[in-house]
Amino acid sequence: MREQVVCKTTDLKPGDMKSSYFGKQNVLICRTLDGEFYAFLNQCTHQGAPLDKGMICGATTHTSTPGDYHYCRKGEIIRCPWHGREFDIKDDGRMLANPTKKLPSFKVRTEHDDVIIYK
Amino acid sequence: MSNSKIPLVDTDIHERVQYQEILEYLDEPFKHYIQNCHWMQEKHMPYTQPSVAGVDRADAVVPDGSPAGSDLAFMQEQLLDDIGHEFGILTSALDPSPSSMHGWHEMATALATAYNDWQIENWLEKDERLYGSVHIAAQDRDGAIKEIERVGSHPKMVQILLPIDDIMWGDPYYHPIFEAAEKHHLMIGMHHNEPPVYYGKWPRYFIEWHTLISTAHMKQVTNLIFNGVFDKFPNLGLMMIEGGYTWIPHLMWKMDQQYRDLRHEVPWLKRKPSDIFKNQIRVTTQPAEELTKKEFMSLIDQMGTDEILCFSTDYPHWDYDSPTRALPNLDPELKNKIYSENAKAFYPKLPNE
Repeated sequence: MREQVVCKTTDLKPGDMKSSYFGKQNVLICRTLDGEFYAFLNQCTHQGAPLDKGMICGATTHTSTPGDYHYCRKGEIIRCPWHGREFDIKDDGRMLANPTKKLPSFKVRTEHDDVIIYK
Repeated sequence: MSNSKIPLVDTDIHERVQYQEILEYLDEPFKHYIQNCHWMQEKHMPYTQPSVAGVDRADAVVPDGSPAGSDLAFMQEQLLDDIGHEFGILTSALDPSPSSMHGWHEMATALATAYNDWQIENWLEKDERLYGSVHIAAQDRDGAIKEIERVGSHPKMVQILLPIDDIMWGDPYYHPIFEAAEKHHLMIGMHHNEPPVYYGKWPRYFIEWHTLISTAHMKQVTNLIFNGVFDKFPNLGLMMIEGGYTWIPHLMWKMDQQYRDLRHEVPWLKRKPSDIFKNQIRVTTQPAEELTKKEFMSLIDQMGTDEILCFSTDYPHWDYDSPTRALPNLDPELKNKIYSENAKAFYPKLPNE
């Protein structure tokens, strides 16, 4: 399969995510607060949890110092519904605590009100 | 989640009661205290648990909005049927949980009785795969023994739960509980309570507490062994639940070394501590540290036996371990032991054909 409509742009408000299918693959469609769409395999790299049951949120960042939280990147981080692992939507799905691991990702474009995954 | 059916004995499943459900099993005036005075078990944890849905898997909330673990049909669908469980051992949630209450022994003892009846009627007698834990308020030793005598002979009760908290259960004062357990062919299951880790307080961060849970398990194991519980009750077994497993070789070596030097103080010990551990103590795997197969096999080698570990999921909690993903891919014989045979050999009342 070279490309497929996986949802409508109106299905997802900025900061939301949902599961869909690209062929037989269960995929996670994410929309960041700037309105952009991203797609990943809907399965945590750790133990396979369905990521659409987790949440999109922000992250406490490396600029935090002991006792002083710095929280930003709202709407750009996927957190797993089981163990809470964090994946950076805008950094190719890389895991925050271990950037050598990342969620398998898919190319996405929008046409009119269609969200399309393509190869 | 997976179609590969492992004939699994899951040694840690947390069913959950809601206060309104337990009322019909509770005697007065304790029913009144919940129904009209809105009593709730004390809560301590100062953190928003650093996962998505507090203490639970976010996808384990029941579709009607009820708390995770509170609905048998949904547990069957999401866990027992999906994974293909052969048996599951219920270990309850923390709130309300009589075995982990502080203070007010009368309420704790009444709640234990109600909880056991609720568990039997709504879980053990409704799904043949599920086996249960006898709840007692062990701080009221004599009340606890009465409760063991009342429900301990139920064919699906396989263990007595003792909390890992601020009481060290090896003290001879509590030995009559072990005597009652032996009488009914019940093992002891120990699960940590809040907050046994940090000098009885909470550390600053949840990640500290969760990292150090195994230290609380090590304290109880050390205490029971050196207080002579396992020599006094040779048919008794102890299942340490939810402390992980990589601490086992360390504690075996440490206890054996101390025994060689200090045996004089504990002359009632007839065997090396590590031999007692191998014969009478079992440990559930979750939360499993992520080891390679080589690392895992090295650890088994250091334990000196492959019969200690028993797989557990901890469903529906946030640090759930997937039976297909949490441990490295093991050779069939070892896999069968850890996922099934070790637990069957341990619990006398679990079918083992």
